[in-house]
Amino acid sequence: MSSYDPGKVARIHRELHGKLPSDPALRVRALESLLVAKGLVDRGAVDAWIDLYAEEIGPRQGARVVARAWSDPAFKARLLADGTAAIGELGYGGHATGHLVVVENTPEVHNLVVCTLCSCYPFALLGMSPGWYKSNEYRARAVREPRAVLAEFGVELGEEVEVRVWDSTSELRYLVLPQRPAGTAHLDEAALAGLVSRNAMIGTALCRAPAAGGEGAR
Amino acid sequence: MDGVHDLGGTEGFGPIPIDADERPFHHAWEARMWGLNEAIAGDPRWTIDWWRHVRELIEPLDYLTRPYFDQWAQVYAALLIDSGWATAEEIASGEARGPAPCPGAPMRGQEVRTAARRAADYRRDTGASPAFVVGQPVRTRAAAGPGHTRLPRYARGRPGVVHAYRGIHLLPDAGARGVEAAEPLYTVAIRAADLWPEAAGSRDRVFLDLWESYLER
Repeated sequence: MSSYDPGKVARIHRELHGKLPSDPALRVRALESLLVAKGLVDRGAVDAWIDLYAEEIGPRQGARVVARAWSDPAFKARLLADGTAAIGELGYGGHATGHLVVVENTPEVHNLVVCTLCSCYPFALLGMSPGWYKSNEYRARAVREPRAVLAEFGVELGEEVEVRVWDSTSELRYLVLPQRPAGTAHLDEAALAGLVSRNAMIGTALCRAPAAGGEGAR
Repeated sequence: MDGVHDLGGTEGFGPIPIDADERPFHHAWEARMWGLNEAIAGDPRWTIDWWRHVRELIEPLDYLTRPYFDQWAQVYAALLIDSGWATAEEIASGEARGPAPCPGAPMRGQEVRTAARRAADYRRDTGASPAFVVGQPVRTRAAAGPGHTRLPRYARGRPGVVHAYRGIHLLPDAGARGVEAAEPLYTVAIRAADLWPEAAGSRDRVFLDLWESYLER
């Protein structure tokens, strides 16, 4: 039974002090051994989850969604109306994207996503969240001084731009649709996706056009 | 709960520790902990809200200093002990001294791809009609008692405007007590100027997803 008793759990946390191995790697190894021994975990499934998120599910998926929205106005309209349904058209969905809301950057509005209370993030679309997103610093500062935070990421916004910070307090998950950079009319979807970084889809980066002449000029 | 987890707006923190790359994991044990979290045949009574509350209950100094996935290990240790599924000695040694209740066979490797495509739906059709409409001015509740809530301290007792109605969603405050209850959920826009004294005159806004009982007229 779960007690749902905060006092009891706080006591358990305190009592665990000094009882577990001092190194997190050893703590996790012992936990895994125990869960396997108790029949609660199959190691093959742990390996498969890691492989999936290390190799397949990652920010390239989100970048494909953004590139499609830049290229196809009807898709963009559907994406802004119902994010979950629209990413499903590209075969994406699952973990933490059951209630996906897409917010669009424009010359007048810049969006920034945070989870001040924990670390909510659209995993199935962007893969593992970056360490900085989960940091105390980002969680504390993003809602209070978003412009100073953005400046640390190299994003300087004029006062004419409204900053909208989205604090992920429910099971809705937010994806930023960045602005398409100028000078990219000749690029196809695959090349456009290459301009979209993970941070741009959280709101801590802008998308830049490739150097003059495009891909061929490199 | 007025805990240290409720970080929004807390002053005194330094520069954002920006990762130099987009690697999903930086240590093998972080990846193992992530995989364990996904693969475990846990107790269905470990709701997402109770899970989050158990993390919030980590001692304040530990919460602020221990690595992210190390806190997940701590959450599972506490959940297992609280449910009577394991002892601290077993968790420390990794050796089972007795069985845990078996909620069903654990997920197998070949089932992971399908499981990864499943998205939980947190909406419940209770038939309730929303009390607020888009564009309506509201005020957030001034106080939240002990227990889990998703109304952050910085946003309490503030004026805002209903930006969107999101349907009837499970209420985390109840879920953390093992109770299933659902309420209309809204995205509420609060002006930075109404949150922070130093933001007077700013046009910037903060948007939060707030349940009906978090709001007043």
